[in-house]
Amino acid sequence: MDILRIEGIKKSFKNDISFERKEILHGVSFFARKGEILGFLGPNGAGKTTTIKIILGLMRPDEGTVSIFGRSSRERSLKARIGYLPENPYFYPHLNLREFLTFCGNLSGMRGKVLDRKVAATISLVDLEASHKQRLKSFSKGMLQRAGLAQAILHDPDLLILDEPFSGLDPLGRKIIRDILLGLRRRGKTIFFSSHILPDMEALCNRACLIRSGKVVKNIGLDEIFRLGEGKVEVVARGFEKEIFEMMRDLIDKVEMNGEEFFLSVSKQEYVRAVVQHIYNSGGEILRVVNQHPSLEDIFMNEISGTGGEGEDSRRVEEKEFSGSGRGKS
Amino acid sequence: MRKIFSIALNTFREALREKLLFIVLIFTGILLLSTYVLSPLSVGTARNKVITDVGLACISLLGVLTAIMVGSTLVYKEVDKKAILMVLSRPVSRHGYLIGKYAGITAALFLMMILMTGILAVMIELGQGHITPAVLLAIYLSGLETMVLCAIVIFFSTFTTPVLTSFFSLCLFIAGSLSGDLRAFASRFGGALMKYVMDVLYYLLPNLKVFNLRHEAVHQLRFSSADLGTATLYALVYTGVILYFAYMVFRKREFS
Repeated sequence: MDILRIEGIKKSFKNDISFERKEILHGVSFFARKGEILGFLGPNGAGKTTTIKIILGLMRPDEGTVSIFGRSSRERSLKARIGYLPENPYFYPHLNLREFLTFCGNLSGMRGKVLDRKVAATISLVDLEASHKQRLKSFSKGMLQRAGLAQAILHDPDLLILDEPFSGLDPLGRKIIRDILLGLRRRGKTIFFSSHILPDMEALCNRACLIRSGKVVKNIGLDEIFRLGEGKVEVVARGFEKEIFEMMRDLIDKVEMNGEEFFLSVSKQEYVRAVVQHIYNSGGEILRVVNQHPSLEDIFMNEISGTGGEGEDSRRVEEKEFSGSGRGKS
Repeated sequence: MRKIFSIALNTFREALREKLLFIVLIFTGILLLSTYVLSPLSVGTARNKVITDVGLACISLLGVLTAIMVGSTLVYKEVDKKAILMVLSRPVSRHGYLIGKYAGITAALFLMMILMTGILAVMIELGQGHITPAVLLAIYLSGLETMVLCAIVIFFSTFTTPVLTSFFSLCLFIAGSLSGDLRAFASRFGGALMKYVMDVLYYLLPNLKVFNLRHEAVHQLRFSSADLGTATLYALVYTGVILYFAYMVFRKREFS
């Protein structure tokens, strides 16, 4: 069963001056399965936040349906199983973190000692124990973001919807949130989040849904991305005689140079051994052998620029230490 | 119910931490000033009448002004700053949210009025007098008036800015305080159309005059318990209707 299914969502807004309606979402459709992290990727103004608000019932679609846990998203009781972190969250500045989370827990139907225990555990999880008595108005942006995640996961939701969860976080804060999200995925929770930070998305997601100008332009699994580069290998080496290029003419597609290092794009997987042998024989040193495939950023940039093709200058996502040389590095 | 209570409690806390109790200090200052400036101009028990008169007027006026000032930003601020997204993405109904907000701000204003009543009682005691049941009933009616006005403020704040909310609410407060007089004036001097218009306005606008028994309380004139009952019922019904309209507007709102 799909935990979240969006079908043909259209949404338009009326211009305050001309009263003309402008369509922002043009039939957005996607789904998220149980236990997966689905990334929602798109440039500013693509319609990510509008889609998220429609899922949560904070906006109404002109057309289309949203079902959550196989039921209509209009059922209010479903919201008890959803956690939401808004973009640039603003929380009640007059409350301290403990009061704020207790308030959120009450709104989600939690109470008593169970709530108290859960509040304490969540504060500890987001690493804000030292600040739990501090009013939220004194929190930094990163702390607010973590407080926002705390309120989203407090009631142990089955579906987590996060709008730019890494915005404003320092590396430590990003790591904390990444670890929490991975932990939640291990527990079978479904996570749907939008982000501009592509490495985080690449590190976390099972799938990515790319949206541009209110249309879903690609829905791709991260394993598919790795498969896109199958068969393409890059050998990085140095210190060999340049004359061997002539001998390898049929084996390599392209050579790039950066300082002393040569980046050789091998045309076929089965030529790798021969290329490495040539380099060794001419006294060269193999630094690494890299399986080439496009990164999520390459795919994103291509889709956003409208070409939709595979990246030409794809760089490595997955590197393999070259075994056997003893001198390679990864 | 528990969720409404949580929202009300949060709003109550917010109102208190927004220095609402500072209003009580202003009230105390005005009373002290009236004691030392106006009271010497009067003699005997008239001194206490001056304090009571000023006190009752201040409780009513400060209640109304505070309701407008605090209430006008209440919903707007949450929508503008997007704190409302966090509330409404949980299993909280929109009418529950509005009722919670209304209950919280009304409770904070009632607390403020109770504190002002206490200070007034102390000032009257210091003037060798006693606060009479009639004065307490007049304050009770001021509380009802504040209750109605809070609902009006909440209604406007569901769809417009704090400035316009304050303006519309103040206009309604003034019109509501004068609607009975205007109707009487029209029936005596106006034409048929004027009479009809004033009749319609009289029933549409809040009739805030029913909550004003301050003159009777100060001068210890009689007023019937039926008036109190009518005023209470009127406040409850009018508040309920206005909050219902507020919900009708609010339930269609989208939060972009």
